[in-house]
Amino acid sequence: MSYDDSAVLRVRELRKHFPMGGGRSLVAVDGVNLDIAAGETLALVGESGSGKSTVARCIVRLIEPTSGDVAIDGAPILSLDPAALSRVYRRIQMVFQDPNASLNPRMTVRQVLDEPLRLHLKMPRQAREARVRSLVEMVNLTAAHLDRYPHELSGGQRQRVGIARAIAVSPEIVILDEPTSSLDVSVRGQILTLLMDLRRQLNLAYLFISHDLQVVRHVADRVAVMYLGGIVETGPTSEVFGSPKHPYTRALLSAAPVPQWGVAGARAARLRLVGEISSPIDPPDACRLAGRCPLQQTSCTQGKPQLTDLGGGHAVACRIVAAAPVTSPSGHG
Amino acid sequence: MSADLLEVENYSGSFRSKSGQLAPVLHQVSFRLRTHAITAVVGETGSGKSLVALSTLGIQPPSFVRTSGRILFRGIDLLTLDEPGLRAVRGGQISMVFQDARAALNPVFTVGRQLADVWQLRHRGSRSAAMRQAIEALRRVSIPEPERRARQYPHAFSGGMAQRAMIAMAALVCEPALLILDEPTTGLDVTIQAEIMDLIVDLTRTQGLTTWLITHDLGVVAEYCEDVVVMNSGRVVETGSSEAIFTTPRDVYTRRLLSASQLAEPA
Repeated sequence: MSYDDSAVLRVRELRKHFPMGGGRSLVAVDGVNLDIAAGETLALVGESGSGKSTVARCIVRLIEPTSGDVAIDGAPILSLDPAALSRVYRRIQMVFQDPNASLNPRMTVRQVLDEPLRLHLKMPRQAREARVRSLVEMVNLTAAHLDRYPHELSGGQRQRVGIARAIAVSPEIVILDEPTSSLDVSVRGQILTLLMDLRRQLNLAYLFISHDLQVVRHVADRVAVMYLGGIVETGPTSEVFGSPKHPYTRALLSAAPVPQWGVAGARAARLRLVGEISSPIDPPDACRLAGRCPLQQTSCTQGKPQLTDLGGGHAVACRIVAAAPVTSPSGHG
Repeated sequence: MSADLLEVENYSGSFRSKSGQLAPVLHQVSFRLRTHAITAVVGETGSGKSLVALSTLGIQPPSFVRTSGRILFRGIDLLTLDEPGLRAVRGGQISMVFQDARAALNPVFTVGRQLADVWQLRHRGSRSAAMRQAIEALRRVSIPEPERRARQYPHAFSGGMAQRAMIAMAALVCEPALLILDEPTTGLDVTIQAEIMDLIVDLTRTQGLTTWLITHDLGVVAEYCEDVVVMNSGRVVETGSSEAIFTTPRDVYTRRLLSASQLAEPA
């Protein structure tokens, strides 16, 4: 675990427990640590129920976390009152998965983009008008789109508006929650190219949340793999994809079909998990993968494993693998 | 038996708007499904890939009007069948699995009851015999504790389990010759998707099915399918073996779809 002081976003021991009644609680996020440097893209990957979207929502306090620390440039934000928090939103913004749901159907593109400039930057009218025009151009739309409503735009165009809204206030960090999941593959490529261009031009740091491993491999500098509320493996993208260590990461990577001919044979030795994801309600103090894992030993149920650094920023939360690191041949592509 | 179980020939059709205008959506669609093979029909939103499958079962939207073509199943044009004729084909000859299994199951009946009803409809016999068959079908698709699961309602099933139950109904209880699956793993996690696809391949082999898989995921095609039909904007742009489509794609759209799927720089 690196405690890099250059981190523009730092998350420490983030927890979110949802009370379930009867004294039970659903542990959605269970002690997550993240660091993102300026201009860096960290991908948070995991399947449904892993808690990756809850992490994102806790960071921007759309959901209030149960405990933990979140700091932007070293300044903690979880203790801020609403007025001060609103000022933080100039520095951290979010793009949501479904642009149909995240754009107000009664607002034109112009109104959608004007609002943050008015509320956050208190820009005068003429300056806002100019900024709105430059924003639509930055996301490769034209001034002709400004007076349209969301229903008059395609899915890809709507997501471009969502991105323009996020970068309107010149943030340092953008959280992208499955930004391409609702799009066809040809549109997906265009949106990813746009995001990569904007990152370079504006030196944006991205927290890129996705279940699409193909996309993550393409865009991320580093990857954190989540399973049932915790990070099980993290490291540079090439390391995690090229030499995955945690049994869950290996199962996940080997399950994802690759759209290339002749790759399937290499996957015959697929690492399979048994059964389905276990319940996040009052989980035992054990490895969350216990019961599904092919490498399981008795020590796996004796306390939850912590992330152990294997060198080069590659860390894994598995006692079996950390004790005897094996080079796994299961990386594909 | 001929080598092709189903032939779609020059199938064209339009949607009729409220004002009576025709908007063409399918243009001379032609392809064949080889008996006992898994054929993928791939395309993006609006390509018409689902519409052809719905037409095969006579469950296309009412506003859709056929303008030409035939869909031959064992030499019979399905588009000429009347409602009793179609009913004889649906389920027993051709069955279909939809994308959202939990929406396809009836929420007010137990899963076992729904499978047993379908079995009884086809085979007659007693309630208890039908329920035994339903439980056996659930066991065959690797649903753990099938006796207990059969007594549960669909809301108690995860998305992956519900899709297993639907596949049990469509492939095992109905015992069709042709199984159509419309995006059966879209919305499921990749580890679950892999298990469902393994199950589909297994059932195709052991039950002697001919399988028509509608998908937008070229990864699934490369991994599990033998033949491919590529559709774009209501047209078939290319057909061939999976190997040929991936290694020597001829059509411009196929190439574009491939490079977009692989996130490669466009050629």
